[in-house]
Amino acid sequence: MSQGLDNLKHIVVLMMENRSFDHMLGGLTQKNAKINGLQGNESNPDGNGDPVQVSPTADYRGQLNHDPDHHFPGVDVQIYGGAAFAPGRTTTMDGFVKSYGTQSPNVDDSHAIMKYFAPQNIPVLTTLATEYAVFNGWFSSIPGPTICNRAFAHYGTSFGNVDMNLFLVSAADKAKIPTIYQRLAAGGHSAKLYYYDQPSSTMEIVNLITDQSFFGVFSDFVADCKSGNLPDYSFVEPNYSDHPAPDGTRLLATDQHPDHHVLAGDNFIGKVYDCIRINPKLWQSTVLLIVYDEHGGLYDHVAPPDCQKDGFKAPESATGVPGLTFEFDRLGIRVPAVLVSPYIARGTVVPGKGEANGRIFEHASIPATVSKHFLGKDEGTVREQNAETFLDLLGDNLRPDNDCVFFPKAMKG
Amino acid sequence: MAIKDAPTVDTIDFDEAEAYNPDRPISSLIRTQLLHLHHAEYLSKIPAKERTNININTLHTEGQASEYIQQVTALLHKYGKKSKPARKKASGKKPAGKSKASSVARA
Repeated sequence: MSQGLDNLKHIVVLMMENRSFDHMLGGLTQKNAKINGLQGNESNPDGNGDPVQVSPTADYRGQLNHDPDHHFPGVDVQIYGGAAFAPGRTTTMDGFVKSYGTQSPNVDDSHAIMKYFAPQNIPVLTTLATEYAVFNGWFSSIPGPTICNRAFAHYGTSFGNVDMNLFLVSAADKAKIPTIYQRLAAGGHSAKLYYYDQPSSTMEIVNLITDQSFFGVFSDFVADCKSGNLPDYSFVEPNYSDHPAPDGTRLLATDQHPDHHVLAGDNFIGKVYDCIRINPKLWQSTVLLIVYDEHGGLYDHVAPPDCQKDGFKAPESATGVPGLTFEFDRLGIRVPAVLVSPYIARGTVVPGKGEANGRIFEHASIPATVSKHFLGKDEGTVREQNAETFLDLLGDNLRPDNDCVFFPKAMKG
Repeated sequence: MAIKDAPTVDTIDFDEAEAYNPDRPISSLIRTQLLHLHHAEYLSKIPAKERTNININTLHTEGQASEYIQQVTALLHKYGKKSKPARKKASGKKPAGKSKASSVARA
């Protein structure tokens, strides 16, 4: 066991919304060729058949006025280019512009789906990605939308669902699959899901109904970090909407869901990091994972790999793709994932699909890792048992304070 | 050594007043959240007389949605179920020997 793992007492996960790996981190390849982002010549055909090349011209808001399709049939088009379902279809990753074209008032607007951020324009995420560890192969768990993907982080499965339905109440009871929070509590460990505030609430409504003892708000997270009372496991949700604070001040959405301001989210990531970073004991005993729930319909060039079937099936009526019964045997599109700890060497790049010693991560890696560390078990759902865990990235060397960044302005936000 | 020794990176300032838009039409994500909370009002033990009786189809902006979300979330906390708090272990390290955690049913 490494010194970093031996000292580890807290795992914190911050899950953002709806941005692909290439959209947020693809530009980092120009700084570090090991990062599997963009070369700059990747393209997708538009509705006229003309190639639309990727460009580092993503704006913080205003380019994605129509929320890009990221529901199962739309993602199917993005991955397979619109080819009808047939066994052995080839993944082409060339249907993103085509998919967005169905939502755009004109062909030019559909090109926005190929834009990505220049690294200097989102300094917190790109700094953390280069200062600590970035995953080349972290994929969303399902080629579909938010709720079913987030379910894999909380349960290790979506109970056969590929959509946004409130499905977990009866299915969870029926299948007897507890959340990671329940598992930890049963093992005598503490766990909390911090949503931003009550007007933003949580995407885990079903847990709020069935057991609200695991919930807190972001101001609790800030206080718990400061006092050193952070639970063993914390899951942090960003603010999902623009709304007034109780004192009337403006609270901006920080989830980065299109078309929310991306900088508000970047600064929020910095604040979560700083809350941990500023407490010396907490900093040395905590690992922070920043990950996105799914790609939000935005371009990524890496085809999602096959994966272990999860035991459930989504019928054609649920997938919305003629002829396709989904057996949860393919992951969703790649998302940004960054792991932070002073025990991680600067510039760590975890190789992904198609690379030497490549490793494939997905959201089931979260409960799998938490279970393994705190409960000493590799058990869990089928997908958890087959998921890569990530705490082996913690080494023996504690990086000194003057080697670990701080975002002073983020703490003031 | 302390945080004052840490290399600093500046976040980017932007015009928050200009960016703030509670009148923004809600996304499918927030529409979904409204639907879930609407179901939750009836799935939970919130007394009928305390339910909001708000027709969520009349909520179109983030500001409107957040008011409803706040009301129902507060009610769910007031009337929701709570399990006993976990016994806090001395450290977060792996337990020695067999864990007491219940195993997870296979999907």
